[in-house]
Amino acid sequence: MRTDRIPGLAIVKGMLFAVRQVFRPNLTVRYPEELNEISPRHRGRLILLYDEAGTLKCETCFQCAQACPIECIDMGGVDTRNRYHVHWGASEQYAERREESALRRSGRPVPDRTFDPFEPVDLGPLDEILAAGKYKPANALAMLESAQGVYGHLPVAALQHMAHQTGADYAALYGMATSYPHLHFEPPVGHIVRVCRCTQCTLLGGGRVLAAFREHLGTDVGGVSPDGAVRLDVTACGGTSSGSAYVEVDGEPLPKSSPEDAATIAAALRANVPQGEAA
Amino acid sequence: MSLPILDGGKDWPQVLLARATEGKLPDIEAAEAKGAWEAFRKATGELSPEVVLHTIAESGLRGRGGAGYPTGAKWRDCVTQPDPVHYVVANGFEADPGAQVDRTLMELDPQAVVEGTAIAAWVVGAEQAIIAVSSSAPVAAERLRVAVEEAEARGYVGGDADWRSLRIEVREVTGSFVVGEETVLLRALEGQRAQPDQRPPHPSRSGLWGKPTVVNNVKTLAAVPWIVAHGAGAYTSLGSAETPGTTLVQLGGVVRKPGVVEVPLGTTVRQILDGPGGSVQGSLKAVLVGGPTGGFLPPDGLDTPLTYEDLGQAGAVAGSGTLLALDESACLVEVATLMTRYLNDNACGKTIPCRIGTRRLAELGAGFCSGHVRPRDAELLSELAADVHDAALCGLEKDAANPLLSVMRYFAPEFEAHSVRGECPAGVCQPLSLAGAASS
Repeated sequence: MRTDRIPGLAIVKGMLFAVRQVFRPNLTVRYPEELNEISPRHRGRLILLYDEAGTLKCETCFQCAQACPIECIDMGGVDTRNRYHVHWGASEQYAERREESALRRSGRPVPDRTFDPFEPVDLGPLDEILAAGKYKPANALAMLESAQGVYGHLPVAALQHMAHQTGADYAALYGMATSYPHLHFEPPVGHIVRVCRCTQCTLLGGGRVLAAFREHLGTDVGGVSPDGAVRLDVTACGGTSSGSAYVEVDGEPLPKSSPEDAATIAAALRANVPQGEAA
Repeated sequence: MSLPILDGGKDWPQVLLARATEGKLPDIEAAEAKGAWEAFRKATGELSPEVVLHTIAESGLRGRGGAGYPTGAKWRDCVTQPDPVHYVVANGFEADPGAQVDRTLMELDPQAVVEGTAIAAWVVGAEQAIIAVSSSAPVAAERLRVAVEEAEARGYVGGDADWRSLRIEVREVTGSFVVGEETVLLRALEGQRAQPDQRPPHPSRSGLWGKPTVVNNVKTLAAVPWIVAHGAGAYTSLGSAETPGTTLVQLGGVVRKPGVVEVPLGTTVRQILDGPGGSVQGSLKAVLVGGPTGGFLPPDGLDTPLTYEDLGQAGAVAGSGTLLALDESACLVEVATLMTRYLNDNACGKTIPCRIGTRRLAELGAGFCSGHVRPRDAELLSELAADVHDAALCGLEKDAANPLLSVMRYFAPEFEAHSVRGECPAGVCQPLSLAGAASS
């Protein structure tokens, strides 16, 4: 008779395995108090080594920076003849993510409206909107649009109140509001710059104009410049642009656009902010 | 901000723009004198829904939104669903910011769109239909509303009796590029987050509010009345044998006469550029077919016929129906990179290969533009593009790699010029020259 046919043997085997585990030594180390022993020849330590003479053994080959999957390694230095400052790594390629993680490391607040402490707003008009929407999460988009119509933007307090009243997750409302480009979290701004990103405008240098506005307004598409003066947004020219990319400043199309113009326009708009004027 | 309607010449039939008149819109009486709502009266008076469905299937009409799914098959799939509640959605949300093909049609002949929607709703037994228009096209929305009101006043729709109880709603939708995709549009109409759904089930089985829904582009629906009025045989005689009919195409870039023109399917890209486009100024470098998700065709590939299959094989898509001619002043690597970046910015974030993959594609392309190229980058780009395509949940993602892939396929020397020699043939980018640095 084959042993695997004996009834219950599998259960006994399983139990034996479980019991055996109880007597095995514990592999988990209570890390900060106890340290695992690492072989002196281990190559994966995140420290810089010094040679016998006391000079750094790292020769800034950047292989570690390139291999690092989460790109936490970055370095700068001088070349071997002490001539040039070097900063290469993967920073050019992953500049944006690097910027964000640098911001987080720096301890300064990263702009994210979910975590902002919120100022209370008058919830009266919002309650009317919610009543009109029958407090149904299914009507959230319409309610968010109406709320933006009343407050000019979507204050965090309004979103919180909406989440409480409708029973929708705050995250779901926040996610919906971020997924639609016409819903904003920042208060209305004095000026708005819209750049067309269609293929024809791209062909006419729209990408460079947009990059110039990004740089000089200090914000990406859909965002507001750090001083809260100008919003950078997109528009649609419908293929009617000719000569240069289609750009609107405060609703007025520019006759011509270029990266150089973008710098002067951005500076002029940021210097001249009509107070309390909504775009 | 409207482009002119171009004259396609005597040989090219007019189906969609047959009644289009620029300037003041005629009211319903004038439109009826030219044949509007004739097909609807004929269908509801003399024919049965089954006969009309058969006619549409026979005519070989295919979705003009870009995918080219046979309209008759889509409707039949919806009709055969046991659920009694059906919907019809006319997709007039023109997502491509550089196109105004659908907008032109809706503004110049709203009656055709409304009539086509009404016939579709009558065939599939829908009591509610929605015409979705982008909020950036207020004129089109207003004209469609007027057209619906006029049709209601005439008693074609919106009545109390039986099949005349159809309610047509014109809805303005705001959203990003991805909202043009059918399942995303349905979510947006429901007031949910704009993200696509897994298909199957297709919307014809489970669409708006989970009910069987026919989602057709407005160009498809506007062709329906003509087919019903003139018969399937008349439609199959237009265009090519495999893909009959006409579609609307927008010409742009360095053509002498930019504008919108109705072309029979199967016409070659060269015929369109040289005929209504009035040929190209300067030397032609490439033609971008299909908007932001389209592909670049080289001058040798201009004899590609405008059909779904031929364009697909050539690496382009019918897409938004735009043909953009590029001359030597354009750097294709830069344009393709910026287009990929645009698509990435408009990704909804649901599938990770799209959300992160298109960003990495754009970064690889930007690496070529600035000369920061590693030896395996070209290989990596095509591998990643294949992954993004294979993991696609929606049409945007499936075609997101088209621009870069088509440039790699037809304009490989341009990539090499950037990466190896460190020069941009168009003089647009300033790639870092490793070869030049070594020799100096």
